[in-house]
Amino acid sequence: MYGVQLDHLAAALGVNEAHARRIAARWRARRYAESARLGPGSAWTWLTRTGLAACGLPYAAAPPALGRLAHIRAVAAVRLALESAPRYAAGGGYWRSERRLRARMGGRVGLREHIPDGEVHWPEDAPVPWAGECWAIEAELTPKTARRTVAIMRELLTRTGDYGCPAAEIRAAAPPRHARVIYLCAPAARPVVARAREALGAPAARIEIRRLPPGAALAPPGGTP
Amino acid sequence: MIRSLARLLRMLLAAAVIVAAAPVSLVAGGSAALAWRAGWPPGRLYRAALYCVPMLAVWLAATAVATRSAAQVAAAPYLAWLAMWHHGAAGSYPVAAAVIAPAAIPAGLAAGGLAWSYRIRSMQTGSGGLSPDAAIAFDLRQWRHQARSARARIAAPGAVPLTTRSGDLVAGAVIRVVGHPARQIASIPYARMRSHQVVVGTTGTGKTTLLLRLWAGFMATGLRRHAAGQGRPPLIVVLDCKGGADARRIADRARRVLRLAGARSTAIWPDEASLCLWALPPAQLTTTLVDLVEHGTGAAAYYADVMEAVVGLAVTAPGGPPASAAEFLARLDPGWLAAAYSSAEHQAELALVRSASRQLVDVALRFRTLLRRLGAGLDGPGGFGDADAWYCILEGTAEVSVAEAQARALVDLLASFAVHGPGTPGRAGGDREILLAVDEFSAVSRRLPVWQLYERARSLGLAVQVSAQSWPGLAADEDERYRIAAAADGGIWLLRTPYPEPVAALAGTRKITDTSRRLLGIPVWSHQGTSRIRQAPVVDPDLIRALDVGQAAYIYRGGVTYVQVKRLVTAPAALPTPVPAPSAAQAVAPQRAAPAPRRLPDVGPLLDEAFGTEPAP
Repeated sequence: MYGVQLDHLAAALGVNEAHARRIAARWRARRYAESARLGPGSAWTWLTRTGLAACGLPYAAAPPALGRLAHIRAVAAVRLALESAPRYAAGGGYWRSERRLRARMGGRVGLREHIPDGEVHWPEDAPVPWAGECWAIEAELTPKTARRTVAIMRELLTRTGDYGCPAAEIRAAAPPRHARVIYLCAPAARPVVARAREALGAPAARIEIRRLPPGAALAPPGGTP
Repeated sequence: MIRSLARLLRMLLAAAVIVAAAPVSLVAGGSAALAWRAGWPPGRLYRAALYCVPMLAVWLAATAVATRSAAQVAAAPYLAWLAMWHHGAAGSYPVAAAVIAPAAIPAGLAAGGLAWSYRIRSMQTGSGGLSPDAAIAFDLRQWRHQARSARARIAAPGAVPLTTRSGDLVAGAVIRVVGHPARQIASIPYARMRSHQVVVGTTGTGKTTLLLRLWAGFMATGLRRHAAGQGRPPLIVVLDCKGGADARRIADRARRVLRLAGARSTAIWPDEASLCLWALPPAQLTTTLVDLVEHGTGAAAYYADVMEAVVGLAVTAPGGPPASAAEFLARLDPGWLAAAYSSAEHQAELALVRSASRQLVDVALRFRTLLRRLGAGLDGPGGFGDADAWYCILEGTAEVSVAEAQARALVDLLASFAVHGPGTPGRAGGDREILLAVDEFSAVSRRLPVWQLYERARSLGLAVQVSAQSWPGLAADEDERYRIAAAADGGIWLLRTPYPEPVAALAGTRKITDTSRRLLGIPVWSHQGTSRIRQAPVVDPDLIRALDVGQAAYIYRGGVTYVQVKRLVTAPAALPTPVPAPSAAQAVAPQRAAPAPRRLPDVGPLLDEAFGTEPAP
């Protein structure tokens, strides 16, 4: 997660917004985090280098990119929604963020390579039917071309190795890494994603399309999300 | 008697000079001993002396500032020498050393270099040494010292990078040079990897390690040049013509090494990736298909002509060329061809179909057998443009005829890729800098002699790197071997091999001075003797025969650099699934049966909980 808005932080911590604001202030005082109003809606909070080091996260410290605020918020909303589901907790699901995947690749992400917005890993012994699976999560706010979306779907469905893994672990004959891809779409993007899934043929059975959860959209200027 | 006295006097005088110039003598002796111990060339001591010149300049400048007298500056070394003796006599040895160091260290290093150079030269010319075989023992000892230093250098972390800052490919540490500039690190410019090279070395001598290093260097430099806008992206195509489990192990190493060098993908053919023979241009496809089939001579020539005509009809049929083996075989049918050429403007072709209809069944049978044996590796989707590197495994040991046909097809595909590109209209094929590395190509070169491959590659702008376990393994006959070796303008890598003479001879000869002396009785030599200039080989075949694992001789432009190759360390391989090496029959069977689709469990309830239920469509 590159950064989080105060309402999402409150939801993640299970407190109200006022309490979350005080917690963020404490983090700021200890130089663990920075806060600023980067766009519409409540303030954003992100970890500083000290905060990342305290959490043991090997990421480069940077404020959330302004052009990606809407996307970052949508992904955060998806993660929060998923993590609040009882079956998710029961299955012991684990969210692996895009930021972590990129860190694993050490800046060697090629131009043609697509990194999902997140991965969900399910332990082998989880008491859920999909135990042992790895899912790719994609949050779609704006429509891409159907061709590009098909290419991304194919890449996600056929990838065999982990991100940033040694080449020897990538084997063409190995089972695919992502058992399924979950698309969470804004209304504008959904038709294209659905069309792309149709064009996939048999692998389309491994694509799930859902609506983005409430609160995923960035607040319109002057309004509340 | 008088002569002995004169000799004694000379020795005493020399000893007196050495003692008087004690600081310089000490540094000279120490540096010469160090150079002997480490097998350094004298140039290294000269360079060290040169690096000390700033210290000398600063010292003289400080003296000039302090005394404001040119005479004092000129006399500074002498005064320092006097001061050194005074301090030494007073027992202040550190002060004495510090006083004389600025003058003594550079002078001592230079004197040490001169002494070491004199020693090497006198041993090389045969005019030095006490015993008659001193020169031989000196050379062997120096080789051991040089090899030990080179091994130490490659063991030092970071001492031998994959490439230099200027983009040269680093092979390892230099052991010894003859006719090449003396350097510590053996590197070759990228341009030489874009020329033809030959690598000869028996199994277990480090040939694969050397090749992997060269490929990785080519990939790393090529990618860097491409990123800087100085060149096209690199493509490495390796044809391993031995096959078997060993080839698969090397392929895995190559993949890991190239990954570290920046290659995004390494395709292993035919195990994990396939190429499409049918992507060849129709005219080339016809030629390739006909050449893949064995033809006899005499009456069989007529049959070959019929076959070529039939294949041409099937490939250039009005509907376009076939897209797969199945489609091609379906076309080798009188009915299909007659229907395809039934229009009025194809009367000549139709007549040809009718006249060849009796042979069509035989032609179809031969191609059915051939394409079945070739396997799915040439019938799948894919092209050379899909990966940064291709490792193609040909079962040249287990199934020679299949491997020969595969080699021919792969070379044709690569040539087509180099000329036409990956099939994208308007995209020139020359958009990759291609290195074709062929190992033991002579095992599969009956259909395509290596020198033809060379000539063809030269015309297409490909660089070819031919490697073999021995000189006879390079090509089928002597003439062809010499043609290959003579065209290796990127240099020849020679590792230990039992018969290095033909390759060693290609390095040529050099002039050396040979001195004969009169031995009066060990260790007394007379002062009479003769010297003559003679030609000696640049590369000593006996030295090649005695090379250790990981040592290689790089022959280029009449000189040789002996290199201790640095092994590339990669991440450990994933534990492989024990897959037996495919036999010839298995190799031609369909490559991968599609796995039965597994029914995925329903995740709807979880997604409903998290994101709400979906409205009914």
